[in-house]
Amino acid sequence: MTTLIDPSTDHPTARRTLPGPDGLVWTVLRLHRTALWVWTAYIVITAGLLLWLWGPGADAAQKAFDTFGYSGAQENSYHDGFSFLGFGGSFDARFYGPSSLISLASCAIAVFAAGPLIARELERGTVTLAWTQSVSPARWLTTKLAVPAVLVAVGTGLLVVLYRLVWNAHNHLLVAGIGPRSFAFSLGPATVASALFGLAVGVLAALVLRRTLPAILAAGAVQFLAGAMRGNNWPFQHSPFSRLQPELPVYSKAITSSGARISDPGCYLSQKCLDRHHITGFTRTYLPSPDYWPRQLAETGVLLGLTALAVVAAFLVLRRYQPRTGRPKKETTA
Amino acid sequence: MSSTSTTPAVAIEATGLGKRYGRHGHAALDACSFRLPAGRISALVGPNGAGKSTLLAIAAGLLRPTSGSVTVLGAAPGENRDRVAYLSQDKPLYPQLSIADTLRMGAELNPGRWDAAYASRIVEQGDLAPKTRVRSLSGGQRTRVALALALGKRPELMLLDEPMADLDPLARHELMGTLMADAAEHGTTVLMSSHIVAELADACDHLLLLGGGRIRLGGGIDDLTAAHSLVTGRGTADALAPHTVVESRAAGRGLTALIRRDGPLDSAWESQEPSLEELILAHLRNPGAPALITPGTTASAAAVTA
Repeated sequence: MTTLIDPSTDHPTARRTLPGPDGLVWTVLRLHRTALWVWTAYIVITAGLLLWLWGPGADAAQKAFDTFGYSGAQENSYHDGFSFLGFGGSFDARFYGPSSLISLASCAIAVFAAGPLIARELERGTVTLAWTQSVSPARWLTTKLAVPAVLVAVGTGLLVVLYRLVWNAHNHLLVAGIGPRSFAFSLGPATVASALFGLAVGVLAALVLRRTLPAILAAGAVQFLAGAMRGNNWPFQHSPFSRLQPELPVYSKAITSSGARISDPGCYLSQKCLDRHHITGFTRTYLPSPDYWPRQLAETGVLLGLTALAVVAAFLVLRRYQPRTGRPKKETTA
Repeated sequence: MSSTSTTPAVAIEATGLGKRYGRHGHAALDACSFRLPAGRISALVGPNGAGKSTLLAIAAGLLRPTSGSVTVLGAAPGENRDRVAYLSQDKPLYPQLSIADTLRMGAELNPGRWDAAYASRIVEQGDLAPKTRVRSLSGGQRTRVALALALGKRPELMLLDEPMADLDPLARHELMGTLMADAAEHGTTVLMSSHIVAELADACDHLLLLGGGRIRLGGGIDDLTAAHSLVTGRGTADALAPHTVVESRAAGRGLTALIRRDGPLDSAWESQEPSLEELILAHLRNPGAPALITPGTTASAAAVTA
């Protein structure tokens, strides 16, 4: 009648929907349910904005382009009006809104990881709850990192792919200059890597500082600086001779009534001038730059490398929290 | 009673355990050595700051000792997290979870061990609705949920730090009864700190008294009380030699003393066995009294097993 060995036979087992070690995944998702909703809402709203830009959001600019070519698109962008994070304003203003949202989100990820995910648990002592419920600290941290990392990578990756599609479809409607150039070189796998870096930085800050407010401030500041650097300051996106991104080759032609493609006659918004040149339409697109992938991959590699370092550091810091397990080594006396 | 073949005979064995907070901070534990045999229900008592919470947290694998070593269920602390329950003094719970979700978490985190019926029975005894959020519970109600979470995993060793402090007398009595009946039935080892000595006397069969970071008194309660006598009579404390006088005070024209006997007692003294409370209080009031640790509770020389 031993009851020590198997206590699970003589009573109904609890409702368990997930097998084995996945109970910790359920716990992490349940504990951070609000954050999960916020993240889902962010993905849905941003994806919605992008889909709208892909479809009806580009109509006015496209119409102006069809009539007057690039001059029309420029003119359309001047009827700007107020724009905030992609809401309101012309197509050109709205196009960069989701990009701002993605940057904001990466800071929010760092702040979340530093505060609610880790430091609040350390501050409230609830971390001991998991650590005394059959979960080792290392497994706890692994899950706390892996579950958000998957959600962040999938969500951000989805937005990046969608954004690229919108770019490919409508980049001719954007006002040329630093805007499209900076955008084209910064959006890609490095965007996902940057979000993951925010997660790792937040977790490390929380484990080192152990308190919510300092950890949030530190992680937010680091991620903000990293984001600001990514934009225009760090070396990956630059041409070797300038502080700016390399030129983006652009293919731009006017189409005459005979179907010939000629260079833009420079009519600006004059219908008379267009008629004189028998212009019936325009075509314009940014060509893929050979500079894109080397730069994106280098940046992604560096960001993922830093992320890995932060994760390793986090585990090393965590080891200082707990007793040495395994064989007792020779003891040090303080 | 039940087979203990899979349970090591020793639940906790500490050798020269020390814990210092900060580089030059005071030592909460200082060369603390003892052995807690499996299956005992042991009280852990001592004045505030004696190192009770530190000792329990180290055994639970949450704190790293500065020196010395300790084995818990035959392994380093933290190796057997699934078999050890720990309830800290502040009883942290996730405030945003409902009671039902808190217990669900216990089930998720303790696959194969969790006794859902037992955990929910503890909660139901307190008339708590499962949908209630932990945030809105009173201190005592939180304690009940925390206890359900700690006990639901059917541990082999329970480390309880002031488990009943927030409970009303009725709830305390009832929960203590549940806990002890269960521990007795399953042969669970319990190490429980408390300031309420009367409560411990009913529930515990073993005592560890901490003072100044080490064990001052350790062993089975019956053995410890039997080794001491409460004597009254005429004479001075010196007349009680060779017995160890733990505490003595004037009573009328004579003397009342709590002594640790060494040989038979002179029949001039009127003698009776002290209660646990008298024993503990005498030792708490006189921290200078020599330590007494019964053989079963003494850490063996070869305590450090791999």
